[in-house]
Amino acid sequence: MIKYFTNIFSGIVNLLKGMKVTGKVLISPAVTQPYPEKRDELKPKDRFRAELTMPHNASNEHKCTACGICAMNCPNQTIQVTKNKITDENGKPKIILDQYLYDIGSCIFCGLCTRVCPQGAIEFTTNFEHAVYTRSKLVKQLNQPGSKKMEVAKPAAAQQKVDAEPKQNNENNQ
Amino acid sequence: MLQLSDIITWIHEFLSANIPAEWAVKLIEYVLVGLGFLTLYALIALFLIIFERKICAYFQCRLGPNRVGPWGIFQVIADMVKILLKEIIPLKHNDKLLYYAAPFIVIMGSLLTFGGLQFAKGVHGVDFNIGVFYLLAVSSISIIGVMLAGWSSNNKYSLIGAMRSGAQVISFELSACLSMMAMVILCGSMNLSDMMESQGRLWFIFQAPIPAFIGMVIYLIAAHAETNRGPFDLPEAESELTAGYHVEYSGITFGFFYVGEYCNLFINAAIGALVFLGGWQPLHFPGCEGFNAVMDYIPSCVWFFGKTLLLIFLSLWVRWSFPRLRIDQLLHLEWKIMLPFSLFNILLMAVLVANGWVF
Amino acid sequence: MEDIKKLLAKVASGKTLAENTQYPTLELEPNEVRAVAQKLKDAGFDYLINLTGVDYGDALGTVYHISSSTDKTALVVLKTKTADRENPVLHTVCDIWQSANLYEREVYDFFGIRFINHPDMRRIFLRGDWKGFPFRKDYNEVNETPTTNVDIDDLETLPSITLDRDGKIVEKNAKLFGANEYVVNIGPQHPATHGVLHLRTSLDGEIVKKIDPNFGYIHRGIEKLAENLTYPQILPYTERLDYLSGSINRHAFCMCVENAAGIEVPQRAQYVRVIFDELTRIASHLLGWGCMAMDMGAITAFIYGMRDREKIMDIFEENGGGRLMPAYSIIGGLTKDVTSGFEKTVLDFVSYMRESIKEYHTLYTHNPIASDRMHNVGWLTKETAVALGATGPTGRASGWSNDVRKIAPYSAYTKVNFKEILRNTDTCKGDSFDRYIIRLDEVEESLNIIEQLVTNLPGDGFQVKVPAIVKLPEGEYYQRAETARGDFGVYIKSDGNKNPYRVKFRSPCMTLISALDPLCKGEKIADLITIGASLDYVIPCADR
Repeated sequence: MIKYFTNIFSGIVNLLKGMKVTGKVLISPAVTQPYPEKRDELKPKDRFRAELTMPHNASNEHKCTACGICAMNCPNQTIQVTKNKITDENGKPKIILDQYLYDIGSCIFCGLCTRVCPQGAIEFTTNFEHAVYTRSKLVKQLNQPGSKKMEVAKPAAAQQKVDAEPKQNNENNQ
Repeated sequence: MLQLSDIITWIHEFLSANIPAEWAVKLIEYVLVGLGFLTLYALIALFLIIFERKICAYFQCRLGPNRVGPWGIFQVIADMVKILLKEIIPLKHNDKLLYYAAPFIVIMGSLLTFGGLQFAKGVHGVDFNIGVFYLLAVSSISIIGVMLAGWSSNNKYSLIGAMRSGAQVISFELSACLSMMAMVILCGSMNLSDMMESQGRLWFIFQAPIPAFIGMVIYLIAAHAETNRGPFDLPEAESELTAGYHVEYSGITFGFFYVGEYCNLFINAAIGALVFLGGWQPLHFPGCEGFNAVMDYIPSCVWFFGKTLLLIFLSLWVRWSFPRLRIDQLLHLEWKIMLPFSLFNILLMAVLVANGWVF
Repeated sequence: MEDIKKLLAKVASGKTLAENTQYPTLELEPNEVRAVAQKLKDAGFDYLINLTGVDYGDALGTVYHISSSTDKTALVVLKTKTADRENPVLHTVCDIWQSANLYEREVYDFFGIRFINHPDMRRIFLRGDWKGFPFRKDYNEVNETPTTNVDIDDLETLPSITLDRDGKIVEKNAKLFGANEYVVNIGPQHPATHGVLHLRTSLDGEIVKKIDPNFGYIHRGIEKLAENLTYPQILPYTERLDYLSGSINRHAFCMCVENAAGIEVPQRAQYVRVIFDELTRIASHLLGWGCMAMDMGAITAFIYGMRDREKIMDIFEENGGGRLMPAYSIIGGLTKDVTSGFEKTVLDFVSYMRESIKEYHTLYTHNPIASDRMHNVGWLTKETAVALGATGPTGRASGWSNDVRKIAPYSAYTKVNFKEILRNTDTCKGDSFDRYIIRLDEVEESLNIIEQLVTNLPGDGFQVKVPAIVKLPEGEYYQRAETARGDFGVYIKSDGNKNPYRVKFRSPCMTLISALDPLCKGEKIADLITIGASLDYVIPCADR
C-alpha cells in the first residue's frame, strides 16, 4: 500500500524532472541554423569533400596528364577521361587531355581519386550545393574549355616515379 | 469597455429593428451563429497547428516552420491548401459508407461541443441546465468516428489502432466525468452559466484547493488521453502502427481527423478552463477590491482564451516530453490509479462541501 | 594456443592441422563436420562467430570461425568442401549453433549449397525466383535475366532437405504460418524497423506469436563487388555496411589488409583511429538512444541525441572531410594528419557529453513510463545470446563478456585503461532496460578512452608509404573489431592478386535480428518495437 503511493509520488517527481529538462530547452536558443539566410557564416570545414574540381591557374592551365589513374581507381566509375593524341611542335606524339568528365551523381566522395593522382591535378572543394533539375547536369566537365596542360619545371620522368606514392606528401608540403 | 456580448446584443437589436418577422430574425441569427462557430472552429484548428509546431520545435531546440510568412505563421495556410488539393485515394474492399462517414463523425463530435462552451461573458451557443453533462457526452462522440475509421479501412494496422482507441477512451472517459462531478458537487449545478456565476467571486480551484487541484490534474490527464495525443497516442502510435486508425485516409478525409484532433485539444482545455479555472471570469480574490478592479479591465474573452491556451501549452509540454505508454500501462494508470483517486476525490469534495469547509 | 591445438587433434582424430594459418584450422570431409562441431561445442566452443561460403573453383565449401564464451580468446577454424557443383549438399550445424541458421541460408543463397536438416532453406537476400547463385565464380550475371519478375516471392513455403535411411535426399516443404493466423507486415516501410527490414509478425490481439524477418531489401552485394575491386577501393564500401559504425568497419578492414601485407602503422595513426572509433561508437549509441526514445514515442529525446551527435559529426568533418563517412583511415594510416585544434575540440566535446548524459538520464532513464516499458520485457539469457551470436552491447547486457576490444585488443586499445561494460547477471535479466542502459554506460567509458588517448597523442607520423597496388600474399585472413553493435569480422581470402578472392563481412546486426523472434514471443506489439530498438540493428549491415 505504501509502495503504491511512493511509486505514484516518485513517478510524478521524475516526470516533472523530465519536463524541467525540456522546459530548459524551450527557453534556450535553438541549435538549428537557418540556411540560406546564414549562408555566409555556415561554411563547411576546409577538408570537407563535396565536389571534385580541377584547379586551373590564371592562364587557364591545369596539371592533368590524362593518365587515367583516377578513373581506374574510382570504385564507382564516376570519372571518365578521354584523351587526344597530337603531335607537338617538335613533331613528337603527345597525349593530352580532351575531356575530364565527372558524374557527381554517382560519386561516393571516398577521395581515392585525389589520393592516387600523381600530379595533384584534381582536388575536392567544399561547394556542396549540387541541386539541379536534370540528372544530365550532374555530369560535369572539369577541364575548362581551351585549357591546356601546365608546363612543369621537373622532367616528366621524375613525375612518373611519384606515381607509386600516395599523394599526401604533396599536400603536406603545401 | 467593449465586451463581445455587447456586439452580439447590438446585432440582435439591429436585426430585430429591421426585420419584422421574429422567425426570420431567429433564422438569420442561427445561420450567423453556425457560421461563426464554423469559422472559429477552423481558425482555432489552424492556430493550434502552427502553435504546436512552433512550441514543439522550441522544445526540440529547433526553429520550426519559418518559410511562409513572418515566423512561418502562414505555413499552416499553405498546408491547408495542400491538403485540400490532395487526392482522396479510393480503396477497394472496404466499407465505403462507414469509411467516408467516419471523418465527419469525428468533426461533428467536436463541433457539437462548441455549442455548449462559454467563450466570453454572455457569448455561448446554448445554455443548457445540464451543460457539463452535455459537453462530456458530446465530446466523446468522436470516438465512434475513430472506431468506424479503423474498422471500415479493412487494414490490420487500422483495426488494432481502433481497438486500442476504444479501450483507451472508454476507460479515460470515466475519470474525466468523475473529476468533473466533484466540481459539480462544489457548484451545486450542472449549468455552465451557474458555474461561471459562482466562480465570479473566486475560481473553483481556489475555493476548494485540494480536491479541485486533484480533480484538475486527473481531468487534464484523462482529457489528454481522450484526444489520442502523445503520450497516449496508442491508437495512431506512429512507430508501432504507422498511423493507426487513419492509416488509409488521404487528402481532406485525413485532414478532418487532423483538424478534429486539434479542436478536441482546444475543447478539452476549454472545459478544463471553464470548470476549474473560472472560464471567462477574471482573477478575483475576495477582499482585494483594487486588484479585482484591475483584473476586470481585461476583457472576458481574453481570460477564457488565455486560460485555455495555458492548459493547451501544458498539454503540449507533456506531449513533447514523454514516451508513449503501453496498453497495459495505460489501463493500469486509469483503473488502478486515476479511478480510485477520482472516487476518493468526490468523497473528499462532498465532505468538504457538506461541512462548508470551502472558501 | 597449444591447448587448442591439442583439443583440435583430439576432436578430429587422425586429422592434422593446416599449416601456416592465422588461427588453428582443421580441414574436414563434409560428413565429419557435424561430429567435430558437436565435440567442439561440448568442449566449450559455443559461439559460432562466422560461417562463410567459398567457391574454390573445383569445389564449393564453407569456413566456420568458432570461439567460446568461456575461453574468449580461443578461435578455431573449420573448413569443409564438396566437389559436387551440380547439387552441392552439406550437413547443417544450426542445431549445434543456433546462429548458423541465417548463415547457412546465406550460403545457400549465394553458393547454392543446401544444408541437410536445415529447417528453412529459403533464399535470404535475393528473391525466391532468382536464377543461379551469384557468388559462384562461374556465375554469368551479364547474359541472364536474373529474375523472372513474374512469380511473386514465396515467403510462406519453407523448403528443407533431409536424408532418409538409405542416405538419399528427401525434399520437404513446410508452411511458415497457419492458415488462420493474423499476420501483419511490419515493414519494409515502417518507422520503427530502422531501415528496410520486413518483419512478418503473427499476432494474437496485441500479443506477438511469431516473427519472421525477411532480409535483402537493401542488399547491395558488397561482398560480390569487392571481388572485382582493389583493396583501397573496397574501403569506402566497408563504411557503408553499418553506416553508423563506418569508421570502425573501415578500421577493421584496414587492419586486416595491413596485418596480411605486413604493414606497420605508426602509433599516432593508431591512436587517432581509435579516437575516431570511439567517437563513432558514441555517435552510434546516441543515435541508438534517440531512436529508442523515438520508437517509444518521445520524439524530443531523439532530437537531443541528434543535437549532441552533431558535435561528433563536426569533428569528423573537420578532420576526415566527411560527416557520416569520414573516410579517414586508409591502408597504412590516415589520409591526413589531425587538424591543429583537434585535441581541444575533442576534450571540449568530452566534457560537454558528460553533462549531456546526466540530462539523458533525467529525461528518459528515470522517466517512469519509459522505465516501465523497458523493464521486464525481452529477456535474453546469456545462453541464448551466445547461441544466437548476439554480440556487442546486447550480449553484454545479458552478462556475456564479448568485447573484442578486450578479447583481442587491436590498435591503441592495448595502451588504454578501460573496463568492459557488463551488466551483472545476478541483478538483471538481460531485458530491454539493460540493453538500453548499457549503451549510455558505454558512452561514458568511450569518453574515458578518448580522454586518455587524446592527451597522449604520439608524434610519429600519421602514415607509412604503401605500394600503389596492394597485393596480399595467398592465404586467408580474419580480423575482428568491436563496432557499436558488436563483433564485426572481416574475412579475406586472397589468391595473391590485387583483388581479393573472397571477402566476407561478419555482420553483427544479422544475428541481432535473428534474436527478435525468441525475444518478442509473447510480448506486445509495443514491446516488439522497444526490443527492436534496444537491439539497435542497422539493416544495411545485415543485408550487405
